[in-house]
Order: sequence, then structure tokens, then C-alpha cells
Amino acid sequence: MIHFVILMSRQGKVRLAKWYSTYNMKERARVVKEITPMILARPLKLCNFLDWKNIKLIYKRYASLYFVCGVDAGDNELITLEIIHEFVEVLDRYFQNVCELDLIFNFHKAYYILDELLVAGELQEPSKKAIHKHIQDQDDMVEKAKNGTAEEGQAK
Amino acid sequence: MQSKLEKVVAGLKTGPRFLKELREFDNLVKAIGECKSKAEEDRVISQELELLKQRLSDPKLDKSRGKEYMIRLMYCEILGHDASFAYIKALQFASDPNIHTKKAAYLALTQFLDYNDNLVLLLVNTLLLDMKSDNYLIVCTALVAATRLIGADLVNAVYPVAVERLRHPKEHVRKKAIMALHWFGQLDPRRDGPLAGVELDKHFRTMLCDKDPSVMSASLCALHDCIKVDPRPYKNLIPSFTSILKQVSEHRLPKSYDYHRFPAPFIQIKLLKILAALGAGDRAASENMAAVLHQALRRASTSHTIGSAIIYECVRTITTIYPNPQLLAAAAESIATFLRSPSHNLRYVGIDALAGITALNPAAAAEHQVAVLDCLEDPDDTLKLKTLELLYKMTKANNIQVIVDKMMGFLSSCTDEHIRKDIVRKVCDLAERYAPSPAWFVTTISEVFRLGGEHVDEADAHRLVHLIAEQDASLHASAVEAYLELLDGESAVASATEAATATASGTMTRLPRKKLPETILLVICWVLGEFGHLARRPAQAVLARLVGILNVHKAASDRLRGCLLTALAKLAAHTGGATGPVGQALIQPHDGGAGSAAGGAAGQDAADLVHKCLNSQSLELQQRAHELQALLRSTPPVLAAAMPVDASCEEFNPQDLAAVAALPFLEGHVARALAGGAAPYLPPEARGGRTGDGGSKGLRFAAYEPAPYAIPLAAASTSYAATGTYDSRSSSMTGASGPGLAAGASAAAAGVPSASSITEPQLMVKSAGGRKWGPAQYETDYGASASSSQAAPLAAAMVPPPPAAAAAPRSVGAHHSRTGSSASLTGQTASERERLAASLFGGSGSGTTTAVRPTAAAPLPAGQRQLNGNAIATATRPASSYAVPTANPMDLLLDLDVPPPQQQQQQQQRPAGAAAIASGNEASQPAGNWMDSMMAAPAGPMLPAAPLGGISQVGGSAPLGGSFLGPGVPNGPSGGMMYGIQASRPPPQQQPGGMGIAMPAPMGGMMSSLQQPHFVQASGLGGEMGMGMAGGPAGYGAAAPPVQPQAWQQQQLAAGMASGMAAPIWPQQQQQQQRQQQQQQQQQAGRFADPFEDLLS
Repeated sequence: MIHFVILMSRQGKVRLAKWYSTYNMKERARVVKEITPMILARPLKLCNFLDWKNIKLIYKRYASLYFVCGVDAGDNELITLEIIHEFVEVLDRYFQNVCELDLIFNFHKAYYILDELLVAGELQEPSKKAIHKHIQDQDDMVEKAKNGTAEEGQAK
Repeated sequence: MQSKLEKVVAGLKTGPRFLKELREFDNLVKAIGECKSKAEEDRVISQELELLKQRLSDPKLDKSRGKEYMIRLMYCEILGHDASFAYIKALQFASDPNIHTKKAAYLALTQFLDYNDNLVLLLVNTLLLDMKSDNYLIVCTALVAATRLIGADLVNAVYPVAVERLRHPKEHVRKKAIMALHWFGQLDPRRDGPLAGVELDKHFRTMLCDKDPSVMSASLCALHDCIKVDPRPYKNLIPSFTSILKQVSEHRLPKSYDYHRFPAPFIQIKLLKILAALGAGDRAASENMAAVLHQALRRASTSHTIGSAIIYECVRTITTIYPNPQLLAAAAESIATFLRSPSHNLRYVGIDALAGITALNPAAAAEHQVAVLDCLEDPDDTLKLKTLELLYKMTKANNIQVIVDKMMGFLSSCTDEHIRKDIVRKVCDLAERYAPSPAWFVTTISEVFRLGGEHVDEADAHRLVHLIAEQDASLHASAVEAYLELLDGESAVASATEAATATASGTMTRLPRKKLPETILLVICWVLGEFGHLARRPAQAVLARLVGILNVHKAASDRLRGCLLTALAKLAAHTGGATGPVGQALIQPHDGGAGSAAGGAAGQDAADLVHKCLNSQSLELQQRAHELQALLRSTPPVLAAAMPVDASCEEFNPQDLAAVAALPFLEGHVARALAGGAAPYLPPEARGGRTGDGGSKGLRFAAYEPAPYAIPLAAASTSYAATGTYDSRSSSMTGASGPGLAAGASAAAAGVPSASSITEPQLMVKSAGGRKWGPAQYETDYGASASSSQAAPLAAAMVPPPPAAAAAPRSVGAHHSRTGSSASLTGQTASERERLAASLFGGSGSGTTTAVRPTAAAPLPAGQRQLNGNAIATATRPASSYAVPTANPMDLLLDLDVPPPQQQQQQQQRPAGAAAIASGNEASQPAGNWMDSMMAAPAGPMLPAAPLGGISQVGGSAPLGGSFLGPGVPNGPSGGMMYGIQASRPPPQQQPGGMGIAMPAPMGGMMSSLQQPHFVQASGLGGEMGMGMAGGPAGYGAAAPPVQPQAWQQQQLAAGMASGMAAPIWPQQQQQQQRQQQQQQQQQAGRFADPFEDLLS
């Protein structure tokens, strides 16, 4: 299972963090503090896996952003990489050529998308199309709500 | 900091679609982006939080801006600032009717809180309402929040609503409801807490048949979790899973589930994981899934990472389930691509998969030796670590030195504490199991102490001390020298550091070495105290070093000081007592630093130490110091008696112990007390008998509760502890092996009458003259196994040359051709690599050579191995017979009709041969259900047929996977092991019933003490026993059981450690008892008495 997903910039700034296992605020800060230098210091050519305590860190860099997943030691590393990639593909399609700033200014949207992809540390929706449809539905509804047709939207 | 330009571009980009609905948030982000320093950023955020606090506490709060507030709060929390003041507001916003406020509030709550938080209580009502909402988006949001916020105490409130949502028309809702239920299941995985009696899995099963693939895949997640906890109730789902996997891999799902043209890979991998959990150790289940696994493996390709991921998962599944030679061959083939790949990721998973395959087929690694070496020398630490793990799994006696060297090299360069600890553990483990010589063990462990002493277990230190004590004087002397050098080095560094700090030069050319950890110092103190007199330098120098420890470790603990005092006392006692140089130094009066001539500065230090300890706050130190002084001042005979030279290994005389245990010196006191009217002492059982009924006494009939881990390990360890003894390479460490074993076996027999001694077999093994310190040899010694398993086919003279023999040279050649690049290496490095490879992987080669040794000798290791395989159940008699070097067992097998007395000996040999043949075809047995894998015992007269059948089966299965002939023994976490005991009754004309007991003892298999007596009796009656590792694919030999109606069919003692099936079910128990009674009637006098006789009649 996935314990956490962290997006961090090349400067080590956290852009998004989702915790599926229980970590309190202090632990969260410590995890981030400990894994950031490990990942940022990795040369590009090495493998994308790191052993850290009793979990395995799977990371991948896209442009200036690192996507990091902490998974159980026995999990399939390659599939975790692909989950990361699928997340990036969905983000890319939604934001149309996603960049770091999209994620900064619309980080809640990124969270919504992640919630569609992963629930309770497991991949729950393998189909990109379904995720898009669902996110689109949400946006439409929010749009309606904003246009003063909130009642109508909720009656749907 | 991003450049301005980029920001402008971003501003354009966020254009019409993402309207600036959150203007203030955007401003905040921009302000933070413009910060030049962390302090400035903190200031901006503090201001923001202050502002938010004001706004949120304002009674005229603008509800419509709730979303923006939530987002700003989240942003501040992401940046590491505390926004806990607003949690309660987030709870309020969650019940806001406006959907976008609600969603943002839920998101914020899932970020801020978790299920342990008390605030969640306030949310439950809102959550329940939202889960019942008409708007499916709200329901989804609430369900997702539930997976994060609902804990075990609130499950029951939410559970019914979530179940109801499973029937929602929208597939999105059904999917999320399953995920929520999955989460609830995780809260109480064994269903004995708040979810007791709840039929969660029934819902999961229903949803597996949902028409929407997404919902189906969500239910797979949930089912996987349930199956991991206990696979048994889900075996009937295997056909469903295989058919789903088949359909998925045949591309039957809608196109939208494709991922880079691979059909629904995420679903495939989930299914593969489930199948692995279901098929582990279950032969029937594994056979059912073989075809679909093959298909999935074939259809995936390495053209994209996702294809590799599927292949990797297939390989993992194949190595987890009951081994299937064809699948394993296919798996080995596909990981070759991984290992050759330039991508580090693929090589990493390749090494991991190879470790899995090697556990089943030790020869597999040899083919990839160059690739493995490449990975070992790779700059990537993760890869290196994984490779070390592989090496750890394939360590045997002949390559341990190289592998431990590699591990030490990594240890000295590694800084990660977690990894260091792991490596230290592994090195200690390997050193205990395979140490080629005691001297090597001592140096290795001392080196480990030096490099990673902080992670060494104290138990390892004790073992080290124990080992040193057991050895002879030359090793004592070398250990003393080694430790003195260690201390020399440390004090030199310390003085250099002091000098450097004193001169304040600050130009430290090299880092000061770390101080020695206390554990090793304790060992050093003990060794120098006990054997310091053997040092080549004068006693004063040793004294100086010992006292010097305190100069370096100024904050030494009382424990260390105490040990140091005792060491000094011993040293003084061994070097001339009070009149010796050390003794004089120690008992010289403390005169405030005037410095007597007795021992120079060190002597003065020692006297200081004693003096300080005399006045120490610690009572123990005081006592030790006083004792030291008193002893040194006493007469030499007293001193010699109190501190004898090299007497740490002396055994206590049992009579003395018994005398002490009876506490004779207290008798006068007791008599006085009795005379004074005290009640006489009653032992506890007598007390119980007085109050209750007498029937509570006596032996219990019910099986003891199995201890899931402890006993299996102990049991497994016996199987192997003796293995090393018989390995020719380590035989130097044992005494006379053959007689030793016989002695051990007889000790075992002697120990049999008490049930408890059966469960603690290590004691017996120790008496066999094996290494005394090596505890758990639960992993296989491949050298030995190869020799046994290959020897047998050789002896049988029907089998193609041992695969490993052919593989080793071939693979070396192949690697030369493969690594064209390695040709560019200089000849020297190439040859070095070859040497390294040979030393690492030479196992198969040298294993072969041992196997090709004269066949006359070959049965010997085979027999021994089998014997070792189950030292407990082995009774006395076979042991001696195995020691007789005999001719080819095949001849014996064929030449059956020779009458006794020769026949007796042949029968002793025969089972060995047969079992060895079976072991040749053995494949690994993951722990689990063994019900269908058993080895039939050849019944008396049928004997020639059964082994021959076995051989021909071996021959027949050879083309399937030639290399699986010789795997011998599995190991690894899930590997199990099966031992069969065959006992045939000697006079076939009298009692044609053969008896065979196949006793699969998966690693950590649990043998209940109740079952053991069967073996005892069996051996008592059957007399000659052959024992062997029974063949896994046990089709062969299966013809035997029905032949003899009286034959003891098979008795299975199987228990899974991993699968939690620790409590075995014994369907045959009744039958067994009946048989036992029969057997007792037949039991001849003169065999050793059966302790359970009276219980069973």
C-alpha cells in the first residue's frame, strides 16, 4: 500500500502531500525533512528506488517536480512508478500541459484528482477516462453552483 | 525562486479556464514566491494566518468565501505552519450546503485530521448526512473522507450507510463505497474488534461481479487485503480470479482501461498479487493458475515499463506459489532481459526476482554472475544493497568470505543507520552459520564491532565470548593480540586527537576514528582478563591498555568499570598474584599521585581506579574493588582457586550441582524452623493435589498451543545445525564427525522419553559434536544439498550429468561472449572479476566436484544429510549404518533378494538411496498446505519398484526443467522444506507392511510434541530408517501406498508458519491412534520403552 505521496520542487519545497498512513504533524515534517535531501541528492541515472527505514521510496522527476511515493517494502516498484506516471498524465490532460505553477495555484484540484486515483493507499481507478469524466462532472457542478443555480445543481 | 518571466507566463496560462476566483490566495502565493529568505516567508505566512484568524472568528463571516479560506489554510499547513485554530471552522464549512465549500472543507479536514483526532466525532453526523445525499458527488466526497477520518471506534456508525451505498446506480459511488469498506476492513483485519460478525467479505465477493470494471478492480484491492490475512476462505474464488485475469490479458476490457497499449495492467498486477497469496504452498491451487500465469507472462513485453512491471509481478507470483518447473523456467528466462537491461530500475527488479528464483533453484544465479557483479560494483547504493541481499541469500560455506568482505566494504562506506543495522545483522548471521574457522569468526565479528558496533546485539557479543572461551590457547593468544591492537589503535587516535585539540591546529588530516562501542569493550575486558597472560607483551603493558580504556572513554558506565576491575583482578591472579607486577600495582596504597615504582604510570592509574572504586557510589563497584583487594592479599592457593586459569568452559559436575541444588547447608535452619512450629514446605503441585482433585495431575492430552515462531525456528534449526558439521569444508571444526553423529543420535534417542526434550532438539545436536555457538542453521547449505541431491542421481546411474556441472563452465563462457564491453577491460581486472565471480558463484561448481567424488563416498553425505535433516526423529540405529561406506546404492536397490544378514544393511542403505533420488527432484515448498504433497514409502517387497519409479520420473521430468534436478533445498522466507522419513520393517516375509512417514516440515513447521512419539515408535519398531527430503512433485512413488493394506500410508505433519496455519488439523489422528495400538502389539521387546504407551492404551 502507498503510505504517502509527496510532490516536491527541485528546491525541496513541498507542493502537495497526501498521507494515507497515520502520521501526525511532527512526523510529517520529519519525513519530509529526511527524505528531501536523499531524493534531491540522487544523480539522475540511478534507479528510482530508495530504501528508507522500513518503507521504500519510489520517486520520479518530471521537469522541476519530484513525485515521491512511500510504499511497503514488498510492493512492486515498477507499478508504483506507473501510478505516478498515470497521475502525471491525468494532471497533464486536465491542466493541458501541466507545469509546477498550475499545481501551486490550483493545488486543491490536484488533490481532487489524486483522490480519484488513489483511495486509502490503493489505486482505485485504473481508467484515465473515468477519472476525467468524474472531474469534469465536478467542475460542471461547481460552475453551476457558482452561477447561482446551486439548488438545481444539487438536485441532480 | 522562479523567474519573473515564468510568473507572467503562468499568469497568462491560468487564463480563462482557471479564473482568478481565488484572488487573495493568488496574492499570497505570489508574495511567498517573491520572498528572498525563509525568515521573510515565515513572516508572510504568520501575517496571513493572523488575518485568517480574525476573519474566521468574525461573526459576520462571508460564507461564500469559505472555499478560499480553506485553501489558504491548507497552503499554510503545507508550508509547515500550524493552522489548528481553524479546524473547527473547517468542520462547520463541511456542513455548508454549497458544494464547492463543502468539498474544500472535506479536503482540508482530510489533510488536517486523521481518525485518531477527537474532532472527528463532531463530523460524524455531517458525514452520515452527506453519505445519504442525493448528489452523488457529495456522496463520493463523504466516502473518500470516511477512508481517512473514520477510526475503529466510529466504524459501526458509518458502516451500514456505506454498505447501502454499494447498491447506488452510479458506479463511482459503488467504487468509493467499496474503498470505504476496504478501509473499515483494514481497521479490524481479523474481524474480532468492532467489526466482529460483520460479513464484509460477502460484500466484496458480490462486488467482484459488478458489471463495471472499475468497481471490480476496487473490490480486488479489498479482497487482496482479506486474503493476505487468511487465504483459506477464499480458495473457491481462484477460478473467478483466473478467469478475470485471462479475460483482462486477452484484452476483453474496454479500451479506456488500456495503459500504453497494455490491457488494464493495474488490474492484472492486483490479480497476480492475489493469486500469489492464494497459491502459496497450495499445490492444487497453483496448478489451476499455472496456465493463466503463463499466458500473462507471455503476453507482456518489456517494451514499456508497465510491461516489465507485469512480468516482474508474474515472476514474483511464480516464485511464491507452489513451484512449477515450466513456469520457473519461463520466469528465469524473462528476468534475463531485466538483468541485461541498461536501466537501473529494471536491473533492480531483476536482482530482486533473481533472489526469489535462487531460493528455489540455486543454480539460477550462476547464469547471471556477470550481471550480478556489475550491480555489485554499481555506484548506485540501492542497487548495491539489493545485490547484497541476493548474495546473502545465496551464501554458503565456500563463498562466505568474499560475501562478508563485500558486506563489510559496504558497511564502512554506508551512513544510513537503518541499512547499517541490517547489514550488521546479516554479517553476524552469516558468520555464525558458515564461519570457515573460529579465527575467522573472531576477526570478522571484531571487525563488525569496530565498524558498526552500535548495532550489534548483545547476544552476539555473548556468542563471541563463548566461542573464544571454547577454543585452544593459540586462538586465545591471537584474540588477545587482536584486541590489544584494537585498543592500541583507539588510544593512539585518542591521543592524536587530544594533541590536535591541545595545539589547536585545527588541521585534522583524517577524521578521528569512532570510539569503540561498549559491547566490544566488555568483550575485550573479559578476553584480556581471562587470557591476558598469554599476550606477547609484558603484563604491565596489558594493564596499561586496560586502564587506558578509561582514558578514552571517560564516561564509561559502571558496568564497564566493574568488568574492568574483574579483568584486572584476573590478570593479576594469572601473573604471579600479589607479588606479580600487576598485583603489586593494584594493591599499592593510594598515595595521592606520588607514584610508587611498582607499575609506572599505568600502575598508578590502576591503583587510582581501584581506589576510586573502593569509594564509588555504586555498591557493586565497591564490592568488586574490595573483593579484588581481599583476594589479592589472600594466599596464592585461595587466589588460584577463586580465579583459575582458563576455566571458563569447565562443565559443572552434575553431582556437585545436585548437591548444591539440595541446599544441604540450609538443613539446620529448616530443622530449627520446623522445631519452632513452622509448616513443612510443600511443593506447588502437592498443594494443588491437596485442594483439588488428583485428576488434574498427569500429562495432558490436548495439543499445546502452537507458538507461531519460536518453536518452528528451533525445530528447523536442528535440521540444519548438523549440516555444517558434515560439510566437508567445515569439517575441520568438528570432531570426528561420524562417531559424533552416532553419539548425537543416541543422545537424541536417550532424550526421546521426555516430550520436552523433543521440542528442544538443539541440545541433542550440540552433543553431536557440532559447533557449539552456531544457533540457527535454518537456511540451507547448498554445498551439502547439491552434493546430496546430485550424488543420488549419479549413484542411480540413470541421470544426465548434474546440471550445475554443465552450467558452471558454460555460463562462464557465455559471459565472456556477452560482455563484449568487458573485453575492453584490462586483462588484470577481467581476471580479477573472474576470480571474484568464481569465488562467489563457485558454489555450484565446487558443489559439483563434491558430487562427482567417488560414488562410494557419495551416499555418505546423502545419508548424512538426510539424517541431519531430521535429527530429532532419527533414532539411533541408522546413524551408524550410514557411516559405512558402501557401493553404489543403485546396485543395492536392484539387488534386493540377498537374504539377511546382508539384507539388513542393504535396507538401511536403500531408503537412503531412494530418498536421495527423490530429493534430487525436489522443488521448494512454500509454507502452507501440504496435504497433497507427500512421499510414499516404498513398502518392503515393493522396494525395487518404487525407487525405480522414482528414478524414471526424475528422468521424465528432466526435460521440463533440467536445472531443477539439483535444487536440493529451498530457502528464503516463504521457502519450506520437506523431510520424509521412510522406515521399512526389516523382515519382509514376516511383516510385509512397509511404513513411510512423509513429514513435511516447512521451514518453521511446527511439530507438536504430541506427534513426535509416532516417530519414536516408528523408529523403535521399524528399525531401519532412511530419511530424506521427500520429493515435492510427489507423483512418483505414489504408487506404493495402496499396495500394502497395512502399510502406514502417509502421515503428514505440516504446518504453515507464514500462513498462520499454525494449528494443524489432524484428520488422521484417530487412525493414527489405532495404528499405534497395533504397532504396540507388534512391538518387540528390547526396543526402548515408549513413554506414551500407557497413555494410548
